[in-house]
Amino acid sequence: MTAARLRRWPAVATLLCLCSSTAVFAHGGVVSENDLCIINIGYLKAHFKIYVPAATAHEEYCEDIPIRGESVFIMEYQHDGLSAAKIDFRIVRNVTGKGIYARSEDVANIDDLDAITVHYAPAAVFPDVYMLLHDFESDGEYIGIVTAATADNGKTYTAVFPFEVGDTGIGVWPWILGGLLVLQLNFWFWSRRRKPAAGTTAVLLLALLPYAPLFADDDTWPTDAGHFSVSYQPDLDPLQINKIHTWMLTVNHADGTPVANATVTLDGGMPSHNHGLPTQPAVLATANPGEYKVEGMRFHMQGDWVIAIKIDDGEHRDMVMIPLRL
Amino acid sequence: MLPIRRSILPLLLSLALLTFVFYYWQRFSQPAPWTDAELQQIASLSLAALPPLPPDPSNAVADDPRAAEFGHRLFFDPRLSANGNISCATCHQPIRNFSDGLPRAVALGMSKRNTPSIAGSAYSPWFYWDGRKDSQWSQALAPLEDPNEHGSSRLQVISLIASVSDYRRRYETLFGQPPRLESQDDINRAFANVGKALAAYERKLMPGKSRFDRYADYLQTGGDPKQQDLLNKDEIAGLRLFIGAARCTECHNGPLFTNFEFHNTGLLPPAGELPDRGRIDGVREVLQDPFNCLGQYSDDPAHNCPELRYVRTGPELIGATRTPSLRNLANTMPFQSKGQHATLSGVLEHYNRAPLAMIGHNEATELGLADWQLRQLEAFLGTLAAPIDAAPEWLKAPATD
Repeated sequence: MTAARLRRWPAVATLLCLCSSTAVFAHGGVVSENDLCIINIGYLKAHFKIYVPAATAHEEYCEDIPIRGESVFIMEYQHDGLSAAKIDFRIVRNVTGKGIYARSEDVANIDDLDAITVHYAPAAVFPDVYMLLHDFESDGEYIGIVTAATADNGKTYTAVFPFEVGDTGIGVWPWILGGLLVLQLNFWFWSRRRKPAAGTTAVLLLALLPYAPLFADDDTWPTDAGHFSVSYQPDLDPLQINKIHTWMLTVNHADGTPVANATVTLDGGMPSHNHGLPTQPAVLATANPGEYKVEGMRFHMQGDWVIAIKIDDGEHRDMVMIPLRL
Repeated sequence: MLPIRRSILPLLLSLALLTFVFYYWQRFSQPAPWTDAELQQIASLSLAALPPLPPDPSNAVADDPRAAEFGHRLFFDPRLSANGNISCATCHQPIRNFSDGLPRAVALGMSKRNTPSIAGSAYSPWFYWDGRKDSQWSQALAPLEDPNEHGSSRLQVISLIASVSDYRRRYETLFGQPPRLESQDDINRAFANVGKALAAYERKLMPGKSRFDRYADYLQTGGDPKQQDLLNKDEIAGLRLFIGAARCTECHNGPLFTNFEFHNTGLLPPAGELPDRGRIDGVREVLQDPFNCLGQYSDDPAHNCPELRYVRTGPELIGATRTPSLRNLANTMPFQSKGQHATLSGVLEHYNRAPLAMIGHNEATELGLADWQLRQLEAFLGTLAAPIDAAPEWLKAPATD
């Protein structure tokens, strides 16, 4: 076993013990509290920020870094314990497939952490403030893993936060293509007698194909532990902001049979804004087994949302986080 | 009512007239007279307000002319380096106001920070941008051993003193006996003595009277009214901003334009570097430094070291660096602790915006000054240029005997 492998065991062991219920609507261990970006390493808190000084000077990022380059990660301790703690900091490529919704347990499931590590700063005491410089060589999804071994009780705490580097969003192209599509439809509408230009349509549809998952809202989502699967159907199509509406959930067991009479709860929020839904939706069982109606759904902001659905059928309790872009 | 077309001409004419009047009013009007409070501020910045250099009880030879002569020789001697090419004057160049015109000092390697001038530094209780030294003599020791600077060692330095007969003689005269090498304590003591001689020379280097100082003298004592033209309109407006709206004197105060204190001003690190931790590390270092004022190599039997004894510690020192003097800026650019700003206008823009600091808290707040006001401030800062005030022989390498 290599020294590097030995080094990561404490981190993995801690990750396995971590409970997943904290900071649900944030990128894991990093949350925004009162407009301040905070990293929670166990009970130890620090003001967390990332800079890309050469590119964006004093611009401060909380988790996602829009520009690839030399990035400075900073933790300004809000707890004296961190000043004396041994801190190690690891950045890995996010191979969990869960994007920014990856959690500590997802990281714990990774077999060879070293293989996907892009930066590892070994454990040491960093008084007053923690700083780390990493020059990202490629855009993409990453996960930060910060471990702090406190000096007083020797306990180890870990924070895991997924983040993106560079322009990994869909950018402006869908809008341009959407606009072109509207123009094309207009054209067809006003010249109905003419045959649609098949070539153009094919090109447009092909161009939109990579974005298809974003527009699809009736996907089936397996829950974290795999006990159930959930799909949802809003009665607003397409989804829009500032309009109260209902969702219909279909909840099945792993084998595809409907889950009847389960306790289902739904909540949601915007991780990047650290706020929840503007409403508190209620989930009601319907006459059809496995079908649940969600009343009081409303979104009040464009952007990335996460919907968390918890299911308890008396035998298993499981949950799923569904990303949603408005 | 006049038809619109007929009213346009008179309107244009009156606009032209107004522009004309405004221009001439701007061009020929005299600046507003200084208020009493402003006069007081200006007087406090003038060299006339600089007290005589206080003695340094930690350095018994600080004001001994023989020590200054010895220090002068050592200052320009490249043998005090690992490769025989680096002297103190490599970076502290007399023709550049004892600085080097580089973002960061370059000797054997590249230093951590920008080379500050020496002129007037004898007044400072702290040395280095992070204040990790508390006397001029203990500061003078550090570059000798810094692998990026002189790259020498205590033993090498003392061996040189012992082997060069002129140096040995001077050392003996000053310190009563030749340098001893029997114990680490002997070595440290002899090494400290080298620093004390260097400091005695550096104490001779003072900033000279600038155009601003002569203007300030005129404001205080009157005299030839022509002297009010020592500063032009922009420079006067800049001075008014400097002591007023630009809030510069919150840190750059007193005749040396520095409060000798440590402030976080939200500077960015150079490429490839983490933000400068600054004073938070400097204060720890100075408290542990065997050559500090409380240490056994200080010549003050009372160890009366109020600055060190009551030094401020704590998280507010994170990212703080020492306020530099503003005298003779043209010779010391690029500016800031790591030469982050190549031009003065860059520095002024930085303070005007006062961005949030990467670590700690930027103590400055946004000024909201207009570009032309920043140019006036820059014009004023130019009036602080002056040659070093020291006997000409101190400003060049000593004549070899």
